Parts: sequence; C-alpha cells; structure tokens
Amino acid sequence: MFKLNLKIAWRNLWKNKVYAAINIGGLALGLTAFVLMLLYINHEESFDSWSPDLKNVYQIREKHDFFTPDNKEHWQDAVDSRMAALVKENIPQAIAVTRVDQEWDWNAGYSVKVRHADPVMIQKVKDADSSFFSVFDHQFIQGNTETALKSPKSIVLKESIALKLFGTTKVLGKTLKLVIWRNDPGQQLTVTGVVKEPQTPQTVGFNAIMRTGEKDKDPDNITAKHYCQVYAKMYGDLDSVSLNKTLQQVYVKAKKASFAKQKINYNDYYKDGKTPGLRALQLAEVHANPAIHLSWKDKLKPVVGISIFLLLVSVINFVNLATAQSVNRAKEVGVKKVLGSNKHQLLTQFLLESALQSVIALFLCVVLVEVVLPAFNQHFNVTLSFWHNPRLLLMIFQLVMLFVVVTLLAGFYPSWVLSNYNPVSVLKGNYANGLKGTAIRNVLVVFQFVISVTFIIAIGVMYQQTKYVSNKDLGFDKGNLINIRTNYEEKFAERLRKIPGVKYIATTTQVMGNAFNIPEEITYKDNNIALNTVTVSMDALQALGVKVMQGRIFAKEYKQDTVNAVVINESAAKLIDKYPVGKLYDVKSDKEKYTFQIVGVIKDYHNEGFDKAVLPTIYKVTHLGGTSMTNNVLVRFNSENSAQIIRKIEAEWKVAYPNYPMSYVTMNDSLNKVLEENNRFMNMIVLFSTISVSLSLLGLFALSTFVAKRRTKEVAVRKVLGAANYEIINLLNRSFLILVIIANVISWPIAYILIKKWLDAFAYRIDMPVLPFIVATVVSITIAILTVSIQARKAATMDPVTALKYE
Amino acid sequence: MIELKNIEKYYANKGVKSYILRHVTTTIKQGEFVSIMGPSGAGKSTLLNILGMLEEPTYGTYEFMGENVTSLNERKRIELYRNHIGFVFQAYHLIDEMTVYENIEAPLLYKKVGSAERASRIANLLDRFNIVAKKDLFPNQLSGGQQQLVGIARALAAQPSIILADEPTGNLQSAQAEEIMQLFQKLNKEDGITIIQVTHSEKNAEYGNRILHIADGVVKGDVQV
Repeated sequence: MFKLNLKIAWRNLWKNKVYAAINIGGLALGLTAFVLMLLYINHEESFDSWSPDLKNVYQIREKHDFFTPDNKEHWQDAVDSRMAALVKENIPQAIAVTRVDQEWDWNAGYSVKVRHADPVMIQKVKDADSSFFSVFDHQFIQGNTETALKSPKSIVLKESIALKLFGTTKVLGKTLKLVIWRNDPGQQLTVTGVVKEPQTPQTVGFNAIMRTGEKDKDPDNITAKHYCQVYAKMYGDLDSVSLNKTLQQVYVKAKKASFAKQKINYNDYYKDGKTPGLRALQLAEVHANPAIHLSWKDKLKPVVGISIFLLLVSVINFVNLATAQSVNRAKEVGVKKVLGSNKHQLLTQFLLESALQSVIALFLCVVLVEVVLPAFNQHFNVTLSFWHNPRLLLMIFQLVMLFVVVTLLAGFYPSWVLSNYNPVSVLKGNYANGLKGTAIRNVLVVFQFVISVTFIIAIGVMYQQTKYVSNKDLGFDKGNLINIRTNYEEKFAERLRKIPGVKYIATTTQVMGNAFNIPEEITYKDNNIALNTVTVSMDALQALGVKVMQGRIFAKEYKQDTVNAVVINESAAKLIDKYPVGKLYDVKSDKEKYTFQIVGVIKDYHNEGFDKAVLPTIYKVTHLGGTSMTNNVLVRFNSENSAQIIRKIEAEWKVAYPNYPMSYVTMNDSLNKVLEENNRFMNMIVLFSTISVSLSLLGLFALSTFVAKRRTKEVAVRKVLGAANYEIINLLNRSFLILVIIANVISWPIAYILIKKWLDAFAYRIDMPVLPFIVATVVSITIAILTVSIQARKAATMDPVTALKYE
Repeated sequence: MIELKNIEKYYANKGVKSYILRHVTTTIKQGEFVSIMGPSGAGKSTLLNILGMLEEPTYGTYEFMGENVTSLNERKRIELYRNHIGFVFQAYHLIDEMTVYENIEAPLLYKKVGSAERASRIANLLDRFNIVAKKDLFPNQLSGGQQQLVGIARALAAQPSIILADEPTGNLQSAQAEEIMQLFQKLNKEDGITIIQVTHSEKNAEYGNRILHIADGVVKGDVQV
C-alpha cells in the first residue's frame, strides 16, 4: 500500500508539474533561509564548548566607565589587572587565575620576524601571565601545559601560525622577534609550545599566547591601572550567586582600602547612580552576553523573525495549493472510501504526499545551502560549513525535525480536509462541496500578503533612512583623509609634512574608526557638568575639516592654546552656555583646581555610528587631563592623487621603522565600516522580501488558476447570459482584491510599529514617511490584479459550450 | 440477507422536513437480482446508498446478514462492507492516477489480502474480462465500456456477496450496455452473487428477477419477474 501511495503521489506531482514546482521550489527557498539561520545559531551556540573542563572557567567582570562609547558605567570584561590577585586570594575554590590581553579591533596586529625573513603582521598575539594554560585546557602538539609559560619571554603558537612562520610544528626552542609598536626595539621570544586549533570557536581566541612579563605584575603606583581580561578556573561546581556575592564584598572592601590610600572619598566617587561591582560569568555564557555590544542573540532576533515568516509564506503556499487542488482529488477519496478505506488510511496517504514534497524540498535546500554558503560566510564574516560542521549529527537531527514540522504544518490541514470528503456527495458528481476550506484559504492569503506588504513598506523606509544617513553631513570632510594606526611623533610628523601634497599631519583621540572617550566633570558657574574629553594636536581640527560655529579653533599663534584654551562642540555648548566663547570653567581634583577658557565652538562631528548621538565634548591641546597615546595619525592631502603620496609616506615609514609595517585606513573606509552592519541588514531584508513577495505572488497565481478552473461553469453560464469578458475578469478579480486590500489595512499598523522600533535605534533618523505605505499598497494591489487577470482572461475567453458540456 | 424496516430519510430545512424516503420496508434474499426503478428524484440512489452503508437512514432499522447496521460504529461498518459489498457506479469512478491493475488491486489492499493471493485474483479477473492487455493503461486511455468492465472487476476483486450498482449503464452506448447487463446476469446466476441495481431502463430491469418501483420516496410496487 505504501508503495502504491507513493506511486500515486508521484503521478499526481507529475500531472501538476507547474504547481508542484511552485510548491517545492518555494518550500526549498523558505527552508534554505531557515537552515542558514540554524547553521549560524549552531555556530554561535558552539562557542567555548571545546573542552568539558571549560564549565569551571569564569570570566571576571568589573563595573566601570572607561572605554565606553557613552561614558556611562557598564559591566566590562576589561578589568583592572589587580582583580586577578583579588580573586586568587579571596576565593578558596580558585585553582588558577590568569590575566590576558583583551581584543582590540583597531589593532592591526604585531610584527613578527623570524631570523632574516621579512616581518609579518600577526593578529591576536596576546600577552598573558604564566597561568594561561592552567585555566584554558588547550591541547599541546609540542610542549606541555606545565612548561609552556613557565619562564618569561616565551611564546606558544597555534599550529597554523607555527606552520606559517616556520613551515613545521617542530619549533620548540626556536626564537622569533616581536615588535609591538613601530619604534619598539623588539624582544626575542622563545617558542615553548604549539597548540592545536580547538574544535569550536573561542571567546579567548589567539594565534599566539606570549609571556613578556608585563602581565605578571600589577602597576606599583596605586593610581595607575592596567586593564586586561581576567579568567579563573574554579574547583568543582560553584553556586554562582554566592560566588558573586563574595566577589562583590571583597571588591568593595578592596576599593575602600585603595581609595583611602589615594585620599579619594568613596561616597563622592560612587554617586549619581555609579556603583562599584565585580562578578564572575561562566565562560559558556560569555559569548552570548558581550560586555557593551549587542549580543548575537539580540542581533539575530529580527533575522529569526524574518526567516520564520519566509518559511511560513512557503508553507502557506503549500497549504493553499493543496486544498485548492483537493477538488481534483475528491473523487479518489470518495472511491477509496467506498472501497473500504478508512479516514486514518487516507490521512496517512495525503501526509505521505506532503512528506514526499518536503523531502524533495529538503534536498533542494541542502544543495542551495551549499551553493550560497560561501557568499553567506563572506557577507556575515563567519566560517560556517554544512558537511564539515563539527556538529553535523545535531544538524541532521535538526533537519529531520524541521522536515517533520514542515510536513505536518503543510500537510495536515489539506489531508484532513481531503479525508473528510463525504463519498456520497462526491460520487454524485456534486463537487460544490469542494469549496470547503475557502475561509481558511482566504485567511492564509491575507496572512501571506500581510507579510509581503510589511516587507515592502520596510524596504521603503529603510531605503529612505539609509539615504538620509549616507547624505548626512558628518561634520568633517572625509575625502582625502587617511588615518595611520600609530602614535603621533613630532619628528616623524615633520618629515611627512615635507612630502608635497600633504596638507596636515595631526592626531586626535577621537576619530571615526578609533575613538576612545574619557569622561570629565567640569564646574561652570557652580554647576557640575559631565562631559567627554578629547586630546588633539594643534592642527587636528583643521585636518578633520570641522566647521567653526563661534570663536576660533586652535592655532600656533596663540601661546595660551597649549596651556588652558579649549574648543567645545555644539552639544557641549548646549549644556554650558549659549554664547560660551571667552567663558571660563574649572576642573577640580582633590589637590588642585585647573581653569580653562573656551575659545571656540565647532559643529558636532560624527565619530561613531548614527545609532549613537555625538557626545558633548571638550577638545584640548594641553596634556592636562588628556592623553597623547592616540594610535591615530591623521594625514590630510591637498590633491586627489593620494596613491602616490601614500607611497611616499610608506617609503618614509620604512626608513624610520624598518621592523614594523605601516597600516592605515582611509576615512571613507572607516565610515563604510560603521555603516556596514546596517547595510548588511538592509540587504538581507531586500533579499528576503523579494523572495517572500515573489513566493506570495506565485502562490496567488496558482491559486487563481484553480479558482478560475473551478468557476468555469459559472463563467460559462454568465457568458451565455450575456456577460462581457471584462465583466468576468472583474468578477474573478474582486474576490482576490478584497483579500489584498484587507491585508494592506492589517499590515499598516504592524509595519508602523516594527519600523518605528527600528528607526528609534538611530540617534539620527528620518520622520516616519508616508510614501512607502502608499507605494506598498499600490504595488501589491497592482501586481495582484495583474496576476489574477492573466488567469481570469483565460477563463473569460473560453468557449462556454465546452465548459457546459462536461456534465 | 437484507432486512429493511420502516426506513425513513429526510432533511430538515428551516423546520420543514423534506422526505427522500418514507416507510421503506423490504427483505432481499441471498442470490436475488433486484432492480430499483422510478422517476428522477424518487429516492432510488438514496436507498442504494443506505443499503451500501454510505448514508444513514434518519429512522428505521437495517439488518445486514443478521447484524443491525444502524447501531454499528464506523469502524465495524467499514469492516462489514469492505468484506461483503462491491460498488459499481454510473460514472465508473476509477481512480485516474492508478493503472487498471492498481485500480483492481486497491480494495484488496484495504482488505489486507496477501500479495500472492492478490496477484492471482487480479490475474483471474483480468483474464475473465479480457482486459489483460490493458492492465498497465490508465482509465482515461480506455473506452467507457472498458472502464465499466474495470469498475466491475474492481467490485468483484474483494469477493463480495452483494454488488450494488447505481445506473451502471447510464453512460454507455446500447451495445456496451447490453454486454454489461449480460455480465451481471451471469455473475448472479453462475456465482450466486446478490445484485441490486438502480436503473431507468425497463430493458435493463428485465435482466433481474425482481423490480422495486419507487416514487416520491415510497415503494409503490414489488414485482417478481
């Protein structure tokens, strides 16, 4: 019986090739999007699961406001290096605690030189103390956990890096020269181990772990801090609640002791909502809860929603076509029932048919996934694979579950409708009962169009917002400007200024791509105002090309500028004074009071994405309360011919710093990087909505074919009674048109709410536009009418005699 | 074999009962060949459907081989007609997606007949009706008469004790119709299969040995031929 049912299913598919293709193809597309998302989720879920030992490893997080984009307190993974000792001494269960460098996007890597070979830049070379491998249980190919970082000036390489540098993994005892900064004299490190790449991705990823000795000790000066990541391996299962309670107590105690030595008032420091905090986070949870950025789960939410909707659209097509086709199968059901089949058997048969289609769709989907995966990987900057997935079994299990769910979703309702046909009425030739399920079908069509129309509206609004953002005045001139990743040095800057075509050489702590904010509180007319401080060199603001709104910007002619003159931006001016030029303000510390004079106001310029508002900022040339370790050197060109000038700069660089390659970005690239994530999201919405809209239309097309077919007799009778062709087309159009209009009305508020939420995430955004709503409605109605009319025309122009003869 | 007592069938529409069958009481014995006759809308087909357990009477009792059908649950009822009843339709009602062979095989699958037994029974039927050469064709590749032959073969495959035929020759030309009626007569006489047919044609009715005349849902006459 199974074989026969399979045969019938196959013959039916073959008979309705076009609809079967629409069904299966649509389902395959919907599945592909879903499976890609599954792959991505699996990848993210697999972080830090490469060793069972890792469940006892914790990341230490401290609450503070350094390095944050908004100058507010956050739980951060970059913590004071003293926390390692604090944890080790106060938590008896801590077996090993290690300090390791945090990751920094802006860092191009370190220069590594093996004997006489050219230096190569290698990213993710991290400095750690001797306990690193006691905490992270990596598998050694050469060397072992105990000896690896036992002595300072040692380095442990990942297998791939060992092969890249030396061509072999047998490298124990070999030395290499590491240069961290361009004028770092460099240090000789001895290779003491080679580790395997773990099976799954890691939060503490590295190409090499070295022990230079820097991470071994904390700074002697109590006011100085080294920020790094701290990880601890605990003994046995710990209650994380009580662990965190202990950590918090210990931390507060330590802070109080430290403040007492620095003569800082504890209560003064922690006010206005600022609170001290220290806690441990299990490593397994770290990847899903990043310190400042949005976690992958939050980022993925809209994508999950979209791909589920896409799958739903294709499942709905499936259900609609199957129930519409059911009229053709009614006779089969009737006859089979008369022959002695029971409902259960029929239900199984029709479920089998939808299972057959979903199996084909699933195979197509696997092929599609293989085809699009490289593009997907590149687009989302991940390395996913289907067949070489370490968790292939899990993946296959998920696919089987997906298959079952889709089959039931798509197959159950049609099967149920079909197996419920009353044999007597069907065999009497009374197919009017085939109209069963029209209501549900209409609901599904409406639902489908709600999704499509919402997508179209979303594209419209996103397009307008993106256009607004890309045309927005950045506040500085991004053309002909590059940023070299290095610290400013006057001697080198002078040499670069001599190159023809170079207009300005300057540095700043805040520029798009690499900005770090230093909070400062000023006192102006007895008001305390929290502001952001940026240290610049004399001509940095000129180099950026900012607009001066009031007063002047820094210039060499004013001696005072290196002492106590500041420039503020418009946002800061709003907080301080409407006409601030010439006004004075104070910065108080415990011992002293500094007074600054505002000499100018500049227009706000952007240095982060458009989701973040420009902070109220003070620009200083003085070193008081600022820093000169910027790792930015801005170069502004006179001419468009930048390639030649950059070559000359590189030549100068090679002379000055032979052991360290130069790396730079253009401001255009920096901006693109900031916009990248948003554009990526937009591209995905465009892609998905195109698929969803075309699937809906294909579904509508097929559905209207069936409806037109079923109404042939009605059409014929109307024609005999004298209806004109266009009247018949109108008749058939009307039923669908109502559905599409209802769908539009429903999707307006849905789209409004969703898009408002998306827009609200931008600090700089357009007002909700009306045009996309109108366009979406007009487009959806027009396309629906066109689609249905093709079928309606066919029905209308048919010879009525053929239709009426079939009885 | 069949005992109908006071069978009634009506549809209630806006409080008005419209009767299809009224007070039908009759007995049909094993081996009879009964023709049900009457004008359109008289209730012939409804009576046949009730006999075939496809419809339930609103009132009255129906005993089939000593079992009270009206009180059986669906599962038992399906079991009963799977084993004892074969249907033949005016419009043949073969399954379009199945070949001739598969159409004949279908009822046997529902009856869970073993594959060897199935093959031999089907071969037998194909042979008997001279359609061996057509076994791999689909219904739409056959003429009307041939389709009805397949329909009858299918009804016989389950070796029923009774065949119910709803105007079996209604769609056929007279030569083919005659062939089918002769086949029915032969089945009745040689194999002892009980046959009940609904027909409009006096000529067809004469092939049987009893005629029930129905008009407006009431049995008006019961004639032995």
